Amino acid sequence: MNSWRLLAKTPAFVLLVLVAFLVVVRATGPQKPPTKSAAKSAHSKTAKASGLVPQFADVAPASGLDFHLTCGSPEKRYIMESMCGGIAVFDYDNDGWMDILLVNGSTLGDLRTGKCHYSRLYHNNHDGTFTDVSGKAGLTHCGWGFGAAVGDYDNDGWEDLYITYLDCGVLYHNNGNGTFTDVTERAGVVNPRRWGTSAAFGDYDNDGHLDLYVANYVELDLDHLPEFGSGPLCRYRGIPVSCGPRGLTGSRDRLYHNNGDGTFTDVSEKLGIDPDGYYGLGVLWLDYDKDGCLDLYVANDSSPSLLYHNDCKGGFSEVGVAAGVAYSSDGREQAGMGVDSADYDHDGWPDFVKTNFSDDTNNLYHNDRNGEFTDMAGPAGFGSVSLPFLGFGVKFFDYDNDGWKDIFVANGHVNPQVDRYSFGVTYKERPLLFHNVGGGKFEEIGLRSGSDFAKPRVMRGAAVGDFLNSGKQDVLVSVLDGPPVLLRSEVLNSGHWLRARAIGTRSNRDGFGARVEVKAGNLVQTEELRANSSFESASDSRLHFGLGSVGRIDGLVIKWPSGIIDTVGREDADQELVVEEGKGLVARHRKTSLGGKNSAAGPAAPTQ
Amino acid sequence: MFSEVNSIRRAGLFLLVPLLTVTLSAQSLPPEAEMLARQGHAALDKNEFALAIQDFERARRFAPQSAQILRPLLLSYLEAGRLNEAVEVGHQAVEVSPGDAESHHWLGLAYFKRGQLADAQKELEESAKLAENSFDTHFDLALVLLAEQQYASAAPQLETSLRLKPSSALAHVLLGRSYQNTNRTLQAVDEFRAALRIDSNLPLAHYHLGFAYGSLGQNRQAIAEYEAEIRRTPNDAEVQYQLGRCLLESGDWKSAITHLRRATALDPQKGNGFYELGKAFLLDDNLEGAMTALRRAIELNPQDPSPHYQLARTLERSGNQDAAREERKRFAELKKSQQQSGGMATGRIE
Repeated sequence: MNSWRLLAKTPAFVLLVLVAFLVVVRATGPQKPPTKSAAKSAHSKTAKASGLVPQFADVAPASGLDFHLTCGSPEKRYIMESMCGGIAVFDYDNDGWMDILLVNGSTLGDLRTGKCHYSRLYHNNHDGTFTDVSGKAGLTHCGWGFGAAVGDYDNDGWEDLYITYLDCGVLYHNNGNGTFTDVTERAGVVNPRRWGTSAAFGDYDNDGHLDLYVANYVELDLDHLPEFGSGPLCRYRGIPVSCGPRGLTGSRDRLYHNNGDGTFTDVSEKLGIDPDGYYGLGVLWLDYDKDGCLDLYVANDSSPSLLYHNDCKGGFSEVGVAAGVAYSSDGREQAGMGVDSADYDHDGWPDFVKTNFSDDTNNLYHNDRNGEFTDMAGPAGFGSVSLPFLGFGVKFFDYDNDGWKDIFVANGHVNPQVDRYSFGVTYKERPLLFHNVGGGKFEEIGLRSGSDFAKPRVMRGAAVGDFLNSGKQDVLVSVLDGPPVLLRSEVLNSGHWLRARAIGTRSNRDGFGARVEVKAGNLVQTEELRANSSFESASDSRLHFGLGSVGRIDGLVIKWPSGIIDTVGREDADQELVVEEGKGLVARHRKTSLGGKNSAAGPAAPTQ
Repeated sequence: MFSEVNSIRRAGLFLLVPLLTVTLSAQSLPPEAEMLARQGHAALDKNEFALAIQDFERARRFAPQSAQILRPLLLSYLEAGRLNEAVEVGHQAVEVSPGDAESHHWLGLAYFKRGQLADAQKELEESAKLAENSFDTHFDLALVLLAEQQYASAAPQLETSLRLKPSSALAHVLLGRSYQNTNRTLQAVDEFRAALRIDSNLPLAHYHLGFAYGSLGQNRQAIAEYEAEIRRTPNDAEVQYQLGRCLLESGDWKSAITHLRRATALDPQKGNGFYELGKAFLLDDNLEGAMTALRRAIELNPQDPSPHYQLARTLERSGNQDAAREERKRFAELKKSQQQSGGMATGRIE
């Protein structure tokens, strides 16, 4: 007997089954497209054809970066085993070349027995290679590390380091001789019994001293860790995975005010920071309303992200919902991970990106110039493609020096268990590279950017830097349970460029928060100066401007946090300009070539 | 719309009579019962179910425990839609012939039609054990499991069905949906494509493939599939809605408005359609249109926080800060009262 005879009497049965599938719960909703006005402002340039497709090579193995990121067991049975990967790209010895700090994690067993997995500092040899100088540097804290922040907190001209750990933070003072001293206790930035992830230096009260924000994730009791797969919050798509953050208690973030004497004061309670103890992961200082006072965006996991508007009187108001950056466009919490900011459409206002979990799209928040943002991810071609990817580190950079900021996104799932299923998501994932084609649009070209680039990995931190001082930005990425990846752009015939280094005098020495405007040809580019962004990472803080075919700039204006404005006139492209607050241009560093130990990369004589 | 269903049904009907005849001739019945049974089968063959029931019931009086009478009687009741009697006779049939796969199958279908899904599942599982190579049994069991939203369990039944009959386009679609709803999207895409290779006109196959593409972030492909579905069924509100939503995700809000308007015109109770339409209007700087659509979405889904969130943004843009604040407040209240979703260690809801 064929049962269709029976079912066919009531085709409604089959129809019912089919139609029942019509209404399906989807984890993500459509992206919020722009307002017309926003779109108009964004599209002063018509979409340009995607010309140069970069070929990135992983030069880490040949460059001496012999680091292995230890982060728990391969099964990732506990939440902290998925979150390591801090990177700092900075010039610790002031030789004009970007060095590298790679933060190490640990394992539960090693943590309990006291076996150490130290973070490693690599010195740039100026020839494309690095030397491990960790032994001399004295970065000796033994713990489970996560993020790194860079800033000259005492304005002595040497970049200091803050590293977050599972149970504290450590502030390393740069002694100026290749060594660091742990000054955490004295400075008052212990972040005790808290699991810090990303941290960032920024001078929120414009007193000339860098303050410190530390995003804290969840409160963990290592003796009573939630058991893998043990409850509804320990499942992903129905399969058992590590627990959290839902179901775990969030850890309140910390804002430390720099007292200017080498110590900090915890002002978190006083200033109403993170009162609900959301699961903090990404931190970004930016002046989104251009009032001269740094605002703060914190990407939270599984809870609303927070935007703190700086009232320029020493206080903050949290305005994330009103600004449209707290939730997804449908009002749902997202799993915010990494954040970075740039004016990608050259309307003069800082926009920003945020990475999220898989099954959700990353956000591209366009600054509407009225205190609100519109998520342009969908219209920009930035959103849907990210749906199967779980994003962590994210950086704006201009790989082809065409003057339009491209975007790099480091991906990698948190649950290795997904590989046993054909979910359409995998544990190892390729990174994404979005080429800015103008007109507010991006084209994802990762698969065409070389096999080293497209190789799937479990990526976490991401930072950019011009390690060769050659005018091309490389991308450094940390990889869970593996070596780092240093993706070197091999773009031929890329455009001219200009790099700007700022030295604050009345403002903080790093010039963090300064706004720099460069005019070249018919393009005006504006950037804010910072080191700390992405996920648990710090990048080369020298501002990099691609200039395309324009061989010189018409001018550069830098507005310092102090309010001082310095200007630089016409200058040739393809060099680094050093601008000192109140003095203007004080040095030019010409482009060097690989192996250029004797090139003009070192400090140059002031030209003014 | 159900061409495959109808053709298979006709084929099944032709198969039925010889099968039963062979079975009947295998055992002896009292002569009166045999005669009445023959009449009953003739009536059944002509779809004269009331007459068939009459004949088989009379035959039953002469042979009350005969599977040869109970089975066609069960089928007749089932066909006539007299489900209570079908269940009653079905119980007797499986009691008399516990190893008869078809009796279990038909009893299962009677339960299914009565909405007793657990009982239906039990009978169909028994039937599937007895008739491992029956496409229909595995397929029907899958239908029951799908109706119970047991997508993970339905998938192996449909896989078996397709091993037995790879040409069933509908089984491919249902297997695709089972995969999709258990987060096996890549496999789902393969199944939908297989279904369309067999029957490019299969109802909703393009729609389901579009949905799968959309969930992989492949909006261009998703839009093409939705458009193909709309060419086939232009008046399906859900398909119009999904296309509009996908266009909106892709930034083409003008086209999205067209389809979302159609969706809400076809189904004026479609709250999510008004919500997406409101969002699209907002993008188009049509603040009045956005407010109207979002307010309608709120009327239809008063407990959904999302329209309040969007309405707050719309009101803010229109300069009505006080009303915007109120909407944000309402949004926050609704958020608090609802279970949170999204974030680490969560995924698409099965």
